[in-house]
Amino acid sequence: MTKHEIEIIVNGKKRKLTVKPNDLLLNVIRDEMHLTGTKYGCGIGECAACTVLMEGKAVLACMILAVSAHGKHITTIEGLAQGDQLAPIQQAFIDQGAIQCGFCTPGMVLTSQALLNENPHPSEEEIRDYLRGNFCRCTGYTAIVKAVQSCAHQEARGKK
Amino acid sequence: MKNFSFVNAESKEAALEILHREQEKSCLVAGATNVMPFIRNRKLNDKTLINIRNIKELRFIRDGEDKIEIGPLTTIHDLEKSEIIEKFAPALRDAAQNFADPTTRNSATIGGNIANASPAADTATPLLALQGVVVAESKSGVRRIPMDEFFLGVNKTALAPDELITMIEVPKNPGNSASCFIKLGLRNAMAISVVSVAAALELAAGKVAAVHIALGSVAPTPVRAKKAEAALKGKEFTPELLEEAVKLVAEDISPIDDVRASGEYRKTVAAVLVKRALKKSGNL
Repeated sequence: MTKHEIEIIVNGKKRKLTVKPNDLLLNVIRDEMHLTGTKYGCGIGECAACTVLMEGKAVLACMILAVSAHGKHITTIEGLAQGDQLAPIQQAFIDQGAIQCGFCTPGMVLTSQALLNENPHPSEEEIRDYLRGNFCRCTGYTAIVKAVQSCAHQEARGKK
Repeated sequence: MKNFSFVNAESKEAALEILHREQEKSCLVAGATNVMPFIRNRKLNDKTLINIRNIKELRFIRDGEDKIEIGPLTTIHDLEKSEIIEKFAPALRDAAQNFADPTTRNSATIGGNIANASPAADTATPLLALQGVVVAESKSGVRRIPMDEFFLGVNKTALAPDELITMIEVPKNPGNSASCFIKLGLRNAMAISVVSVAAALELAAGKVAAVHIALGSVAPTPVRAKKAEAALKGKEFTPELLEEAVKLVAEDISPIDDVRASGEYRKTVAAVLVKRALKKSGNL
């Protein structure tokens, strides 16, 4: 198989890589860039543990060929915080105890961030609907929904 | 995933050129949400993947004079948010809102959803009920394929190996503006449907002027419930008539037993869902 030279902008940093046409974006992020916050769960687009933001939209990195991500801006969980300052959604997950084993957390946080980008004040129903594809096998959904809600409220207060 | 080559098509013309060259070896990928699982369980190999994800000219929703025009690379998320779709093809909006989950909707496209020709494709039943038309192009020309003739079998369509879907048209029929879609799955997210139903109903002075009903996951392809449609057409739209008509749904479908449900269950549920969809569409 012919190799491809690609350039991906990950968490604001330009990365040049050589990939095979069958390399998954997920594996490239984890194995080549060593950004192991993005989790390999089911590998077939069922669990959303591998969620990353591509051009600001939540997508599943296990369903995307690395070669097709050429030229795109990707945000992984490592790119949400500003230095030591956690993003509000990350802090909210901690404050609400929304993390148990932690495996689903990066995907949950990024999908929640994508929701808040689209809709800064989602209702509980909208949060549950948006996170419908993200599996938490510890079943900590209630705390996760609360975390997103608290974040939405904080932002609302911040704007006032 | 063993042997693949990968080409980027930056324009419609480039894609048609590559399709012409590669013919049967071609495998178009846009959102890749169907192709990736196929590759990984080795249903696909030794293909030229043609990446069309970035062809901007094929991603649009336009409000035409007597029809709406949808570009094949329109994502399911685009459909969900479009006011044009909401107004003229609510069945398609319903399907988009029930499609997998938001992350998948950001990648998956309407063109890919129908080109994959799954009997369970969520946008296929609405497009059938809405009397959609697929516009396909190759280097040798353009042709229009009515949705009724588009699906030939499981993962088989009327498209030739070198053809590319360049547009999907949905006529502005009065019934289409009142259409709806209902899906029954084993869970709400990421679920492949057990049965899905789309219905478009036009009433005139209490009588059924036009009706189109389509079902998914109940036959090798998405299908129309033509017997039920015939039983409804021209008659006064009453609960009694509806009750009689939906009994015929079972005759138009041939569901199988699979991991998600038995054929018997699907037959029973299909009639119930058709009834619900028609009630909603006809405000009964």
